[in-house]
Amino acid sequence: MRIIACIKAAPDDADIVVGADRALDLSRAAWKVGSYDLNAIEAARRLADQAGGEVVGLTLGGEELANSKLRKDALSRGLDALVIVPGSADADSFQTASALASAIGGLGGYDLVVLGAGSSDRYAQQVGNQLGALLGVPTLNGVNSIAVESDHVRVERLLEDAEQVIDVALPAVVSVTSGINVPRIAGMRDILAAGKKPVTEASAPMPAASTRLVSLLAPEQVDRRRTVVEGDPAETAAQLATFLKSL
Amino acid sequence: MSDVWILAHDPAAGNTLARSARALGDRVIAVSIGAGVLAAADLTLVIETAAQALPEAYAQPVAELLRSRGAKLVLADAGTQSRLLAGQVAAHLGVSPVTAAGITPGEPLVVTRLAFGGLAVATEELTADVAVLVLSPGALPASDAAGAGASETVEAVPAGGLTLVETRAKGGETVDLAAAKRVVGVGRGFAAEGDLELARTLAATLGAELACSRPLAEGVDWMPAERYLGVSGATIKPDLYLAIGISGQVQHLVGVNHSKVIVAINSDAKAPIFAHADFGVVGDLYQVLPELAKNL
Ligand SMILES: Cc1cc2nc3c(=O)[nH]c(=O)nc-3n(C[C@H](O)[C@H](O)[C@H](O)COP(=O)(O)OP(=O)(O)OC[C@H]3O[C@@H](n4cnc5c(N)ncnc54)[C@H](O)[C@@H]3O)c2cc1C
Ligand SMILES: Nc1ncnc2c1ncn2[C@@H]1O[C@H](COP(=O)(O)O)[C@@H](O)[C@H]1O
Repeated sequence: MRIIACIKAAPDDADIVVGADRALDLSRAAWKVGSYDLNAIEAARRLADQAGGEVVGLTLGGEELANSKLRKDALSRGLDALVIVPGSADADSFQTASALASAIGGLGGYDLVVLGAGSSDRYAQQVGNQLGALLGVPTLNGVNSIAVESDHVRVERLLEDAEQVIDVALPAVVSVTSGINVPRIAGMRDILAAGKKPVTEASAPMPAASTRLVSLLAPEQVDRRRTVVEGDPAETAAQLATFLKSL
Repeated sequence: MSDVWILAHDPAAGNTLARSARALGDRVIAVSIGAGVLAAADLTLVIETAAQALPEAYAQPVAELLRSRGAKLVLADAGTQSRLLAGQVAAHLGVSPVTAAGITPGEPLVVTRLAFGGLAVATEELTADVAVLVLSPGALPASDAAGAGASETVEAVPAGGLTLVETRAKGGETVDLAAAKRVVGVGRGFAAEGDLELARTLAATLGAELACSRPLAEGVDWMPAERYLGVSGATIKPDLYLAIGISGQVQHLVGVNHSKVIVAINSDAKAPIFAHADFGVVGDLYQVLPELAKNL
């Protein structure tokens, strides 16, 4: 099986500084692979190991992707190769999906494309849905388990009030849940091996954006009292009880 | 006269969406994919779905229908199936679906959505010639005006490749966390599912609903998905939110920061939740909760 795992790097939200004017300062933020995209890599790796085959990582982004630590981090989690599509992390779902679809067209065939539940910056949960439509193949979101069965996969899909079992003909595009697996933590050997895996570039055209950004601002902060007590549990619990009763 | 279109695959959710859609147009037209005629819409174009076919498999014919009828504004709700349908329909129309947590009507339409896990709010103007909006819960006020209820039948053939084998209802209670006056939230600070009993007892004493961080609902499955709070879960506005064993990542906080009072119990004095709490206890929940029970 040839599986493509789509991953996106975004600024680590712990490093984003909010200014007094509520503007975001991303300049000191390290970029990292979205935590839900690690579930996509893991799902792809496990399937490739079961059915035999390879996992190609595909990512669209800007200059941040030149960072070799970031590339190695992605490769060390179970990818066999990484394909980078020059673009921007700010691209919308359709721009991203269009460029990814055209890049996939140049990769020489695939059986399954796996995406994460959502990117950590936009979290639109839409790139996979749109990608599948553009590639013209069966597409699902909310996929919570995947089993290979001869010429198709059988998946379980989580909805708000039900669970579906669906047979999906290949090739297909699936977006997985954050609960589908526990992503592996790369060991020293994986990180060393990652440095030797192939990284290639594939440029792809991008359509116009569907919206124009007017502003990006942190929400107004609520002022909190921030009383913190520490020490003997019996005492702190009594203080908390007094506080709760005062409400 | 301005038309606003909605995508519906479920009668109840479809009628709710039709009532909200009225805020954005004079006439609400529904494309119903297996959801029958919607009473809250003025006109429903009804597509009968085949057995074992998913509503999402009709995305392409639905997009063609919207294009041929000149739809300019199309709304969907944020459920898993609606999202897939909206994303695919938008792709066939050549645009991005736009997540809308808030909408300001006008020309152009202006929408807001959360970005960076809730750290920021992005305000965007719609620039494409057709807009496909995915509405977050509460994005539009619901009107109670009745629809004209007219209908037309439309023939459509689903795409192949997806066969529904089985649907298992998830049973269980539905909960309206948004209406709760008090909420107790549990997180990964709990070491085992059985230990949640400590929090359940506390919630019962306080007359509070029990909620959780996302990892407890998706991943370990200790709590149902409708009980997790945050950017991708429920948003609450209670008088009291008490977070136990929750670190306070921004993705979680954005769902709870409209609470009047926030209380946190966490063993790590450096946990981010303390910066957002009115009252914090640094301590082991396994020691603090039993002591708290004695004092309430
Ligand atoms: C795109 C995206 C969307 C997301 N959406 C959401 C969302 O909607 N809602 C959400 O909740 N999360 C969401 N997350 C996940 C979020 O980033 C955090 O991972 C999650 O909120 C952490 O859950 P937690 O606080 O329970 O666990 P942790 O961060 O692991 O924190 C556990 C806490 O328990 C404390 N603790 C441990 N033992 C004890 C003890 N004995 N007594 C007291 N305290 C103890 C620890 O000090 C720690 O602070 C999202 C993430 C992404 C990337
Ligand atoms: N720029 C990108 N490059 C590669 N994959 C992406 C990109 N953006 C999004 N994805 C994939 O699409 C999923 C959903 O992203 P989103 O629709 O932005 O929430 C992510 O979890 C990734 O798997």
